[in-house]
Parts: sequence; structure tokens; C-alpha cells
Amino acid sequence: MIPPDLYGRRRRDPFWVAVSALFGARQRVRYLRPPAVREIRPVDRTMDLVVLEVRPRADGVVSLRLGAPDGRVLPSWQPGCHLDVLLPAGTRQYSLCGDPADRRAYRIAVRRLHGLSAEMHALCEGDVIRVRGPRNAFPFLRGDRYLFIAGGIGITPILPMVTAAERLRADWRLIYCGRGRDSMPFLDELAGERVRIRTDDEHGVPDCGDLLGDPEPGTAVYCCGPAPMIDGVRAAFGSRADATLHYERFAPAPVADGRPFRIELRRSGRVLEVPADRSALDVIKDELPAVAYSCRQGFCGTCRTRVLEGEVERRSPSDGDDGAMLICVSRAADGRLALDL
Amino acid sequence: MTVRLEPEHLVLQARDVRFDWADVPLHWIPGDPVATHLINVLHMLLPAGEEWFVRVFKEALPRIRDERLREDVLGFIGQEAVHASSHDGVLDHFQEQGLDVRPFLRQVEFVFEDLLGDRGATGDRARAWLVERISIIAAIEHFTGVLGDWILNADALDAAGADPTMLDLLRWHGAEEVEHRHVAHDLFMHLDGSYAARLRAMAQTITMLTLLWSRGHRFLMARDPLLNGRVRGGLHHLRRTGPAGLTPDRRMVGASIVRYLKRSYSPLGEGSTSQALAYLAASPAARAARR
Repeated sequence: MIPPDLYGRRRRDPFWVAVSALFGARQRVRYLRPPAVREIRPVDRTMDLVVLEVRPRADGVVSLRLGAPDGRVLPSWQPGCHLDVLLPAGTRQYSLCGDPADRRAYRIAVRRLHGLSAEMHALCEGDVIRVRGPRNAFPFLRGDRYLFIAGGIGITPILPMVTAAERLRADWRLIYCGRGRDSMPFLDELAGERVRIRTDDEHGVPDCGDLLGDPEPGTAVYCCGPAPMIDGVRAAFGSRADATLHYERFAPAPVADGRPFRIELRRSGRVLEVPADRSALDVIKDELPAVAYSCRQGFCGTCRTRVLEGEVERRSPSDGDDGAMLICVSRAADGRLALDL
Repeated sequence: MTVRLEPEHLVLQARDVRFDWADVPLHWIPGDPVATHLINVLHMLLPAGEEWFVRVFKEALPRIRDERLREDVLGFIGQEAVHASSHDGVLDHFQEQGLDVRPFLRQVEFVFEDLLGDRGATGDRARAWLVERISIIAAIEHFTGVLGDWILNADALDAAGADPTMLDLLRWHGAEEVEHRHVAHDLFMHLDGSYAARLRAMAQTITMLTLLWSRGHRFLMARDPLLNGRVRGGLHHLRRTGPAGLTPDRRMVGASIVRYLKRSYSPLGEGSTSQALAYLAASPAARAARR
């Protein structure tokens, strides 16, 4: 529909009548020839890396040095980068904690927590693992003054940042927290008056406000650790304008108080079971890898999907009642939904 | 030892920003409605334009044969969706201040929904049309990256006393445009990559953007309730506002087009990732983002 003109004089703006005619003519000329469609070449970015060295670093923590089987140079990376390690049971991300200047080996550290990390702990020198990356979700920026706050295995992305800060001759401090010294990796690589080791055994559970203190103007604070620690530091940081806070924006929070439900994908007729601890999007993604989503936290609206049947339990203020739902957070109110997918 | 720190391989994530427009004046560059409205045209083009990017990119998702590119495209879509809704907030604020922009918005919607919609193509024609639209988005994204880099460095706007909330919106948006400036080009190169198509897309984009910008500025200057049509709008004003640093300069944009036309063009050569990330770390809106 050609729109009216801008000043209320004509029902159809002559400018757009002309543009529309041009577009139509161009399309008709284009249609005289068959469309040119190029074959899309698949790009495989996975790498097979050999475990060069396994070293215990603390109770339940090992570090792995990884290199290319033929010893060639690996893709470059910057502090804050991680690798996606593809294991039979799933994919996990590990921060690179070596030296970016070492182009022939990556170093990662793994704490034994559950299934996937146990698989990682079972690796021996000479084993081969598949990885993707490096990718950066925690970029480190040049500055004059840094405060690093690390909790437990959260020390891994901070280590190369500390090295970079030292090379920049910046004024830096590190506060490294953990339950006890036995459980804290890389203590041997961290020494000097700029480093403060803080254990729950000696000092009790840390207060995030105390950790942060009152950073001097111009300080860049980099924080990595368990989610409650990052939330605490964010809250203590508040809206101060003379310093900046950097933290890794993790994947979405786990589903809280979810009930299992069933989704019917109307276009294919497939029925999927969504367990209590997974989102509808996660389950649909396994079935339809090209489904569109982005923030996975219910604010960007990319995954909004038409609901054909069923009541929606809306879990985001951005999820309006418009016959659609945000499948990344919202769930079924009564056990069953039919979606236009 | 030299330290190379320009971050690469970024994971792109949308930021859940909020802006409060209540105290932003209509002429947010004080005393300069001409320059204010030259930038305001963007607020009218971006919501419909960026929603169109999102629709086209969603359509392209099933065709991508590169995991990393797919992740980049997903991050891009989320950022663009939040951009579109943030600029919508500015438009509501215009409306509240008695500047009725709806007639122009209808025309912008016509461009992005009818002219550049799916046009009823099917099969291979639909695919060719999808790739052509992606080539246009890649050309537009060249400009958003260049403008993003410009706004991050536009000290003249601070010196002119421009409204801080508006500057934060423009710079947050500009910084994310710089952050994801490679995605549309990468997607086009993955799906097609033809140099001729890139040239065609740039020619169409320059024509359309110039016409829309010029018409939009004349419209805003005519409709502004405080001006009553006393000053006629048009892109000739860039001769003053460009060199004054209040709007992008024609020469700067022209030089970037010449770079785009080279076969060796890489969007990463435009703007600085470090600078964009540094702004995002300091931006009041990005910092207040809940996620």
C-alpha cells in the first residue's frame, strides 16, 4: 500500500508511486533470467587438540595444556577468551588461563564438579579433544588501574589479565577468594604485595562490599567467580561513575520453580517434553537447530512465537499477552502448549 | 614487551537497557534544531529498519553452514531488536512534545515492509531475494558502523551541551554497532560474496538513505512545533553541521564508501572494538542494564 504524502495533501505520495514503479520494473527485468543461487560452503571451525600435559593444581582441580597434533601455531587469543570443549556428553566452556604470547599451547583448568568435568579429569597426556574457539565473552581493556576480584576457579580468566596488567605496568591489585588454600589453584603463580589471598577458613564468608572497598577513580574492576559473588559485587558497585565494572555475562540463570510440560510443534506435528529444569527454547533447539533466539533471558523478543493452543505462564515483563510467547523464559500454565513452529 | 589487547572473537550479547526520556528537550542540541533533526531522522528510520534486519536475518538462519557465524547472527539479532525498541521510546517522546512523526513513519514502514518485504517470491527466487536483502543490510551496516564510530568520538556534541540521555542512547547504540560491525558482511560473504552484488547494494543503499534522510529532515523541520516551518530542511545543512562536528561529515562518510568498494574491504577496519567496549563499560544505560 503506497502511503499518503507527508503533509496531508494526497492519498498516495507521488514520490513513492514512482519508487514503487521503479522497484516493480526492476523485479520484472530480474525475472527474465533464472535466479542466480550460489552453493553455500560449510565452514567447520572445530579443532582437534592433543593434551600435552595434565597437572594437579589444587584439590579437585587440574590444568591441561593443549596443542595442535602437528605442533602448528594456534589461533590467537586475548585475556578473557574461552574455549568450547565438545565432549560426548555436551559442550562446556573453559577460560584460557595460559599466556597469550605462547602461540603453540592453550592452558585451561578444570574443577571436578559433575559429569562433564569428570570426563575432563579422566583425560591423560596424548588424548585428543575437540574444541571450538577461542571466543571472548569477558573482554579485557587497556587501562592504568585495575582491581581483580576472583572466586575459586574464577581465577582462570583473571590470570592472563593479571599478566597483561603487569606488562602494561598498570597499577593493579588482585583479591583471590576461596574456601581454603588447598582448594585454590595457581596460588604458586600469584605472589607479591599486589595479591591478597582470602580464604573462608581464615576470614569467614566474604562480604562483597568489603571485597570491592572504595576503588580509586579510574579503576577498572574485573570480577569472576560464582554467580552470587558477581551479583554481590555488582550490587556493591552501584552506580558509581568514576570506575567501571567488568564481569562475564553468563548464560541465563537456571529455571526456577519450573513444572514439566508438553509442546506440540504444529507445523511438523512433533510433540516435545520440556522437563522442569529446562526452557522450552532449549528443548525446541534440539529439534529445530535454526530456531531464532538471542538473549535467552526474556527481554530482546527475538524468540517470540505464536501460540495456537494452551495457556502461557508469562515469566518476563516483556512477554505481553498478544497470542504469542517468549519461548526462552515463559512456560505452559496448564501442562500443554501448541506452537506455530 | 608490546601487549596486543584489541579484543577479537567477541561473543555478542544483547543488553537490556532502559532510558528515561521525560527530561529530554525537543531540541536536544541546545539552540540548533537543524543539527538536532538531522540526527533525529535516524530515530524515525531505525525502528522499522532494524526490525526488518531481524526478520531477514531470522529467515537466513536455516541457511547458515557455520556455527560461529550462526552465534554471531543470533547475538546481532538480539542487539538490533533492543535498538529498535529503544528508538521507539524516543518517537513516543516526540509525539508527547507535539511533534507528530506518524506520516513519515508510515512511509518508512512502506519501505521496509512492502518494498523490501518478501514480495511474494518463492523457491530459488525467494533465496536470491533473501541474499539481495542481506547485501543491502551489509551495506547499511557499513554506515551504522561508521556512524557509530563517529558518535563515540563526537566531542563537539558534548561541547555544544547536547542532552546526556540522548547522547547515551546514541553512543550505546553506536558502540554496539561497532561491536557487531562485521556480522552482516560476514553473513553476506558466507551466503554469496559476489563483488558485483556488493557494489549494487551500496549504490541502492546510498540512493535510498540519501532520499530518506533528506525527506525526513525537511519533514521534521516543517512539522517542528517550535519552528513553524521558518527554516527549510535538507541535506545542504550538512555543509555547516558536518565540519562543526555536530553531524557526520560528508567527506568522512565518502572516504568510508571508497574503502567499502575495495575488494579487500573488512568492516573490522572501521572503528575500534576497544573504544566501543570501553564506552559500553561506562555508559549509564548499559551499566544499569539488569542483564
